[in-house]
Amino acid sequence: MAEISIDALGEACPIPLLKIQKKWPDLKTGDVLIINIDHSCALKNIPEWARKEGHNVEVEEVEEGVWDIYIEKTA
Amino acid sequence: MTTRAFQELQSLKQIVIKDAWPYSVGAVMLGLLNIVIFIYFASPWGVTTAFVFWGAWIYQLFGGHPETWSFFTLQPAMMESLKAGILVHSESIADIGLVVGAFLAAAAAAQFRIKKIKSARQVVGALSGGLLMGYGARLALGCNIGAYFSGIASMAANGWVFGICIFFGAYIGSKILVKYLM
Repeated sequence: MAEISIDALGEACPIPLLKIQKKWPDLKTGDVLIINIDHSCALKNIPEWARKEGHNVEVEEVEEGVWDIYIEKTA
Repeated sequence: MTTRAFQELQSLKQIVIKDAWPYSVGAVMLGLLNIVIFIYFASPWGVTTAFVFWGAWIYQLFGGHPETWSFFTLQPAMMESLKAGILVHSESIADIGLVVGAFLAAAAAAQFRIKKIKSARQVVGALSGGLLMGYGARLALGCNIGAYFSGIASMAANGWVFGICIFFGAYIGSKILVKYLM
């Protein structure tokens, strides 16, 4: 159950999502990826992508306009 | 106020002010906005032509003479706008409104922040991309709003040409983005 973090502060869409997709093959089932973002459009397309792929997603607003998105690899 | 009413208000606030609107709602709003602008300004919505004027007015401040450029001498309406100034230039006012509106929306959602610059590559990408888009918008007589959005909405052929070309441009652009900015 490893945790992998990606710092995507200051990155505009679609770079945060592309960074996740690049890292994704390294994750094993049960691993959690945490991405730190401050572009609200990533708040839409990252959970959308992850849910479509069937993974568990949780979003936490850590400060004004900054979010952590947790994605658990289910399969 | 009852607890129930308060909760309802909170969830309404969440949906309207904090969360991103669905794309379909955005599309309908843009359509309505274009109708309002068309009625009010008597021309379709545009964004980037105003930047030509901003550049020209700044150039005039430094003693330049943009009024001799063929863009203005060959287009009497443009020359008139150049002389009239920014306070009566509807497209400039709309652009300023766009920025102010975006700021208010971000502030209302408590999401406004000054973002840090990530890397030198990001700066180079943003500046060169901006220059290319500005140059392209002039060649195409408009940007994705003036030429594409307003063009197609007005049944103008140039909107469709813009749409086809932007497909190839975006394809190449996304390849470059993945290669250099990832």
